Amino acid sequence: MFKKIRHIFGEGKAVAFATYKEWSAYRTHSLVSVFVGPAYFIVQYFVWKAVYGDTAMIAGMSFEAMVRYYGASALIGYLTMDFADWNLQMLIRTGKFLTFVLRPINHRRFALEQKLGHRVLGLIFEFIPCLLILWLLFGVDMRPVYIGWTILSIAITFLMNFYVNYTLGMTAFFLVNAGGIRVVYQLFANVLSGALIPINFFPEVVRRIMMFLPFQYTNYIPAMVWTGGADIAGFGLSVPEAVMFQGIALVIMIGFSELLYRAAIRRFTAVGA
Amino acid sequence: MEIISVKDLRKTYKTYKRSEKGFFKSFFKREKVLVNAVDGISFGVEKGTIVGMLGPNGAGKSTTIKMLCGALFPTEGEISVMGYSPAKERAKYVKKIGAVFGQRSQLIFDIPPVDSFAMNKAIYGIPDDEYKKRLAEMVELFGIADVINKPTRVLSLGERMKCEIVMAMLHKPEVVFLDEPTIGLDVIAKATIRETIKKMNAEGVTFILTTHDLGDVEELAERVIVINHGKKIFDDKLHELKLLLGNKKIVDISLTAPFEGDAIDGIPVSKNEDGTKISVELDLDKTEVKEFLSRLGKAVDFSDIEIKELPMEEIITRLYTE
Amino acid sequence: MKLKVYLTCIKISIAQATAYRADFIMSTFITLLSNVFFPLVTIVIYANGLEFPGWTMWEVLALQSIFSLSRGIASMCLSSVMWATMDHVRGGSFETVLLKPISPLFYIMTTNFSVSQIGLVVGSAIVLAISLINTGVSGVLGVLSAIVLFIGGILVAAGLFLIMAAISFIWVGNSRLDEISSSVSNFGNYPLQIFGYGLRIVMAFVIPAGMIGSLPAEVLLKGVEPLYFLGLIPCVLVLMFGIWIYNRMIKRYEGVGG
Repeated sequence: MFKKIRHIFGEGKAVAFATYKEWSAYRTHSLVSVFVGPAYFIVQYFVWKAVYGDTAMIAGMSFEAMVRYYGASALIGYLTMDFADWNLQMLIRTGKFLTFVLRPINHRRFALEQKLGHRVLGLIFEFIPCLLILWLLFGVDMRPVYIGWTILSIAITFLMNFYVNYTLGMTAFFLVNAGGIRVVYQLFANVLSGALIPINFFPEVVRRIMMFLPFQYTNYIPAMVWTGGADIAGFGLSVPEAVMFQGIALVIMIGFSELLYRAAIRRFTAVGA
Repeated sequence: MEIISVKDLRKTYKTYKRSEKGFFKSFFKREKVLVNAVDGISFGVEKGTIVGMLGPNGAGKSTTIKMLCGALFPTEGEISVMGYSPAKERAKYVKKIGAVFGQRSQLIFDIPPVDSFAMNKAIYGIPDDEYKKRLAEMVELFGIADVINKPTRVLSLGERMKCEIVMAMLHKPEVVFLDEPTIGLDVIAKATIRETIKKMNAEGVTFILTTHDLGDVEELAERVIVINHGKKIFDDKLHELKLLLGNKKIVDISLTAPFEGDAIDGIPVSKNEDGTKISVELDLDKTEVKEFLSRLGKAVDFSDIEIKELPMEEIITRLYTE
Repeated sequence: MKLKVYLTCIKISIAQATAYRADFIMSTFITLLSNVFFPLVTIVIYANGLEFPGWTMWEVLALQSIFSLSRGIASMCLSSVMWATMDHVRGGSFETVLLKPISPLFYIMTTNFSVSQIGLVVGSAIVLAISLINTGVSGVLGVLSAIVLFIGGILVAAGLFLIMAAISFIWVGNSRLDEISSSVSNFGNYPLQIFGYGLRIVMAFVIPAGMIGSLPAEVLLKGVEPLYFLGLIPCVLVLMFGIWIYNRMIKRYEGVGG
């Protein structure tokens, strides 16, 4: 047992490090975010400034909370984004997935370790510079209200995004045109993750459904937790409650992805796609 | 000692026939077709040998090697490699073997091979000191000391393939599967890859390799298995394969004057280029070389002569079409 | 003459793209779908009883569909110049473009017409038509002025694509360059009045992103503002700068080699 944990730890470190090195070659590309992130933020700022006018609270959020929400939402994106879906579909399409079946490794764990390495770059070249720009240059108070809950919530988001994307990637084991599913998911995710507009603005029936879908747990909830939002999900969830819902969603997602992973490997070793 | 034994191996795929009836009809109602990719193959492999698998595209050799590696479940039949049942015990089994599938690289494109190696070290859980020793040995053996620290993307195909083989063998597997190890390489790179495989084999590693390139087999494999249409059609020593079609030689003759006929003293001409360069396929069981030469000298005037083995390509083509 | 070559090549691209009908319909549909949500934030804002001061929902939707239409047309002609240049430079195959007996920019432009953007163009046109039915227009002069400014907006969007393509010669393999042009253009996706005074001046007369959506919309819906025509000058300048810097990068590439 102890030996196994040590092995996984060593493996994780090696894979994460290799991935970090691999993407280091492109680290300057991440600097695009340092321009693009603040540029979008400025537009959001003025859009909501105009919309708020003299109103103090809209959908349970003050103008200040709204501004901080958009800041947090973008920053969380840098720490938790991944393209496990695209990557896995590419491995399946090119047949390169075979090289993982031939090694004593679980590819899903491998991909998660890769994400760790990849996001360390995101932390250094996207998250920290953009945080400093928002905080020091734009003067937005980005201090998390509850630091512990915020870190926990972002950690869950990190995993949630991964398991969702990896699961989407796995559809390529079963379908020829799995790319379409990915695009459709992303379409919905754009609108419903909360990156464009907080979930609070949606009608109650949509918000109810959202509780049972993965979208809001990948961006909206952690951004609300970060900013200490008062009316989370529009149902007045408290911060610990919101993180709890996020945790439940993650457990369900992991379970689902585990089932699909087993089925996928079974299928791969049966058809050798 | 037999390290690999395969008994009556079969693999059947279900595929769907594309119907002409239009999208929706074919979407809901598809015609099922069963394809026997591997159709009852049996063989055994002795420890420390190199076995070459030959066969045209789609013959079933890739499917066979995938089943041997544990990446594919057989539909029927038994495989035992070092006492393991590959697909059933895949997790344990793959730690003990090495596999290189020529077109599907394990190396990470943007970083030096040595970093990819370090990753595999962790994946296979190779202890530090063992890894260092092994890597030093293999780097020496393959002559890649100055290669492993350059990013993979700048390496030549031959250098990449060497690193690919090193990466698959760091954990000291006893059995190594190579799928098309020399595909796309130039003559020199092919030769060095073959050389390194021979060296590893000399240390007792068993190799199974599939190839299109008869040179690989001629250089490396003492034994050849030929597969076509999912069936084993030949399994023996290489020179037996050559004898299979009779004890024949090719004789190229340069003539001083153009020759028009289609036989020289009753022996048919197999090739005739512009009349002065002709070839004859000589069946040694019927006509010995000495006798042929004297008959040839009487029939025509020639300036040069070359006696060659029947080329492997020729043998294989005939074997496939039979 | 050049126009004839261009039109011929467009015809070929369309024929190529539609050869695999299912693929074409799929990719067009996806482009359309991924942009169908662009009015959503606006609709949600107005549905919550909020507004951009001085603008009705249909007016904002008209503005945003003009923005998408403008970007769609520009990217149909030029976005793939950016992608194609990026690929050539990364793969070291730009020489094949230089070997052609016509201007490299013109060659890449003619051979990389992205037909699938038609989904976005058609989708935006539909939303624009519906919005205009609900808002009405300010008059014939307004329509004509709006068309002129709209063309100016296409020039800006096109110029931005070319600038990004030029940058890809230096910033090799950076597939995220497109985000920069999108984020700059994004300022034109909302009424310019919402921005602070300084930003408004910049977006109208310096980097005229406003011309991509908000300025033509304002003229169309609310009447002609002669001052805006001044913004056409920087539009032409942005495009000219784009062409100039792209060609300059090619010269530099020829000098250094792949």
